[in-house]
Parts: sequence; structure tokens; C-alpha cells
Amino acid sequence: MSSFKPTVLEAFNLTKNFGALTAVDDISFKIYEGGIVGILGPNGAGKTTTIRLITGIFELKEKSRVEIYSEDLTSNPKELKKNFGIVPEVSNAYSDYTVWQNLFFSGTIYGLSKEKIKERAEILLDRFELADKINSKLKTLSKGLKQRVNLCLALLHEPSILILDEPTSGLDPFSVSIVRNQILDLKKEGKTILITTHNMQEAQQICDRILIMNHGKIIADESPDELRKNFKSTSNIMFTLQGKISDESKNALFSLFKTIKIEKNKFNLISENPLEDISKLNAFIQKNGISIQDFTLKETSLEEVFIHLIEKDSFKNTQKNNRRREEE
Amino acid sequence: MKMSSLRNIWMLTRKNMTLYIKRGPVMIFGLLFPFFMVLSWILGREITLSQIFVGIVAMTSFFTATAISPVILPIETREKSLERLLGAPLTLGEILSGMIIASTIYSTIITSLITIVFLIPIIELIVSPLAIFYIFLGISLMAILGSSLGVLISAKPADQTSDIMLLMNLVKFPLIFIGGVFIPLVAVPTPVAILYFLSPITFLTELLRNCVNEPSLISPEICVLGLMLWTSLMLLASFLLQKRTMVKRFSETSGGNKKMKMMMKQQQM
Repeated sequence: MSSFKPTVLEAFNLTKNFGALTAVDDISFKIYEGGIVGILGPNGAGKTTTIRLITGIFELKEKSRVEIYSEDLTSNPKELKKNFGIVPEVSNAYSDYTVWQNLFFSGTIYGLSKEKIKERAEILLDRFELADKINSKLKTLSKGLKQRVNLCLALLHEPSILILDEPTSGLDPFSVSIVRNQILDLKKEGKTILITTHNMQEAQQICDRILIMNHGKIIADESPDELRKNFKSTSNIMFTLQGKISDESKNALFSLFKTIKIEKNKFNLISENPLEDISKLNAFIQKNGISIQDFTLKETSLEEVFIHLIEKDSFKNTQKNNRRREEE
Repeated sequence: MKMSSLRNIWMLTRKNMTLYIKRGPVMIFGLLFPFFMVLSWILGREITLSQIFVGIVAMTSFFTATAISPVILPIETREKSLERLLGAPLTLGEILSGMIIASTIYSTIITSLITIVFLIPIIELIVSPLAIFYIFLGISLMAILGSSLGVLISAKPADQTSDIMLLMNLVKFPLIFIGGVFIPLVAVPTPVAILYFLSPITFLTELLRNCVNEPSLISPEICVLGLMLWTSLMLLASFLLQKRTMVKRFSETSGGNKKMKMMMKQQQM
């Protein structure tokens, strides 16, 4: 899908150990220009460590390598880091500094002149509705406002890659909507956005591609739609039949569909191939002269895919660990 | 060194001076502690003005120099601003230099003021105009040395200032006691005198004694050389150790520990 787009970031064999713990386990991936890539995973999956590796916060060791616009990050870290704008989960700007002092400090270390900082600050503070907070100390602002300041700080030096670590976590719905809309606007402006999130709905809404991580490894790398399509066994066909249903008809339904459950008159069919099953059900109804009262096809949500993949991977890991223990 | 590096170091220095000078631990360990220590040393004892001058200047210099630099990293680890700095186009050298220079400026200004105030009553004891230069050179070197020591001690991954200050005091107090502040080097027996050379403060107290005509064993030139060697050693050690332990801040501080334990548990499952 994205193969014709230029690669902005490429990670090769990223590995990070903390003593006996492997936080990131030999992962490689490419990020193409434009669009939003979501990194999803349970707590401790290695998402933040991956971000710290690609942004140069953690030193890259052994085979691990990161290329930004085909240039090795370690060859010129100071210049290449200017391509990143990083928005952390928790505000990490200086709480005793005012919004302006934070912007000025950040702008200066990114090599901007005072005039340029003023110009950019004006644009960003207007955009994020923070103009009246310019002289407020950061510690006096709410979490939502702090997160908007973080976005201003990250965008001040006009980076081409924006990295957001759970940017809407713990925010009120109003701030969530502001942050989310701004992310979508930034995408329209052509920015490449890498986002980690726990919020599946958010990922489904805004991400063009999703990397699912578990135990330091990438276990899925697809678009949200592809992920749902490729994940077969979870479409739910729910229907209620009109009138009293004879035991004979019920038994016929049970023999037709192995994965059907019944609760009162409500049937729930877990389908791997909903289109085929719906036509089978239609034929059955017509043949038996039954009519349907209501019908719902519940599509697989990204959350269900996520939970399924994580459980599958964790089960595989448990089996692997059990085998290893037995061998020992 | 590039102009951009100098600009970065200056920005970091300014930030450290603005944000950390008024912090509680800096006020307590940098100003109140030496003040009360000097007070308890002077009161009720027959000590000459020149001895008081040596003690006050040495203690102020050492205590103020070791007050700011050890608190910056734990606070910035806890408030996550260290992560912002590491993700920015800055080198570790620039970040650490910003801490050392801020601490050095703080210590040099305060100690210089104290020095001027206590120098006035004993000005006739100053052996030569060169001695004035030596006094301020000694203060400046001690400021860099103490600041580097603070950075060295704060290489222990911690996000609580109390953890670092406790460790800092464990190092600071023995250094003061074997630094010739309370008992001069000339007055101690040889085995103890050898111990005195393990403290860089000895070179400052000896230098100050030379300057105010107090009995001393080491010449001013050797004192300056000794302070320079100790300063270089501390600078080098602090940079090397920080480079080794910087990443551990994200895994060994309390927040990091919790996350690591969770990850370990998940991996063992």
C-alpha cells in the first residue's frame, strides 16, 4: 500500500535489554511519509521503549540501527533528532516555567532564533487556543491544557515526524477531541505521525496502519481494516425468530451452524464467513417458512482483534516457556 | 566546540539556575548547613580571624558547590524533563555541562561574597596581591570540583533528591573532616596527614592558609595543581559514570521499577 511513498524512518533489529528482561526483541519496521501509524500493545509490551530507541533517547547497541531519511541516526544524532517532535503521555515540560519560557527554551535548543520562536509560538498558541495562557506557569494549567502545550512544544521546530505517546490518556472528552482533531489536521498537512495508544476506538478512527506489540515483538502490522478482515472468527450474526420455534427447527439450526448459541428466542452465530452464513440462514428460513423479527451483524472491532492477537501470542509464549522449563 | 553547543550549554545553565536555586535541598545543604556548621565550630572556641576565614571560605565553597548539581537529575528524572532533554538535539556532555556550570556559578558568586566580607577584617594579613588571585582561583576550582562531584554522585539512578542527598552527605562529611578545615594539615601526625590528601578540600584549605599567612605544608602552586588534578578527575569520572547509568534511570527509578517488574512478570508467563 505504502511502498511507493518515501521511507522516513526505518528501524533495523531494534533490541533493548534491561538486565534479564528483553523489553524490545529484535524488531524491524519502516514508517512511510504521511499518514498515522499506531503502535498498540498491552502495558509493558515495549511500545515506549521502541519510541525511546527510535528517537535516540536510548543508545542503539549491537545490530540495532535506525535510519531517518536513509541516514543513520548515530551518524549525526543532533541534526537528525530535529526531525522529531515528541509528545509524551505525561507532560515533561518545566512546570515552574511559563508557557512562553518553555517555548523559548525548547526553540533555542532546537536551533531557532528568538524571532522565529516568537513567530511559531504565535501561530501554535492560536491554533491550540492557548494565546491567553502564554504567561501562565505550566503547573497552574490543567492536564488537557498541558497536553496542548506539549503539542506546541513538539511542533515548534516544524518537525516532519511527530511521535505521540498516548496523547489522549487521562484527558477530558473536550481535550481529547481537540487533540484528536489536531492530529488529523496535522496528517492532512502531510506530517508523518507515530502514535502509541491503548484506546482501540481512537486507533481505529485515526490510524492508517497499526503495529501490535506484545512481549517486545511486533505480532501484527496492517491497516485497521485489513486487521479486522484478516481476523476471521469473530463476526457476530445475531437474530431473533418470530413466533414459537419448534425443537425440530432449533435442532436443524444447530446442525447447520456449529457455532450458534441460543438464549430464549435470540440466536447468536459466531461466524468466520458472515456472507456465506447469512445466505445459508436465508435459505434455511425460506425453506422452513420462518420469519425473522430482528437481525444484527456485528462486525469485528479492532479491540476484539487486539485481544485475540494478544491472547494468542501470550498463549504461545506460555507454551514456549513451559517447554523450556520442562527441558531445564 | 561549535557555537550551537555553547548556546545549548548556556540555555541549560540558565534553566538550571532559574529552576533549582530556590529548591529546598539547595537552600538547606548549600546555605543553612554550612552556616550552622561554621557557627557551632566558632562559638566558644579561641580561633583567630584568619583561621575562621579559611574555615568559612572552604566550607561555603564546598557546600554551595555540592548543593545544586546533585538535585537536578533526580528532579528531572521524576518530572520526566530529562527524557525531553535526551530526545532533543543535545549531547549528554551539553546536559551535564549545563548542570556543572550552573552549580559552579552559584557557588562562585556566594563564596566570593562571603570571601569579600570576611577578607576585609584580615586584609593586612594577605601576603601579596597574588594571594588574592590564588584565593579566587581556589574558590573557582573548588566550585567546578564540587559541582562535578555532585553530578558524579547523582549518577546513581534515583528520582528522589533525598536518596542522592543522603549519599552526598556520606561523601561530603568525611571529606570535610579530613580536609584541614577544623585541624590544619601541619597539626596532624603523618599517618593522618596521608589521609588528608584523599580530600580535595585539603588543597583549598592549604592554599587559603598560604594566602593569609597561616602555617601550611603545601606551596600555593602545588595546591593549585592538586585542585586542578582533582577537578579533572571528578569531571572525567562524572561524565563516564553518567554515560553508563543514564539509561538505568528509566528502568531503576521507582516508576521504571514498577513497569519493569510488570514486564518481567509478563515475560515469565
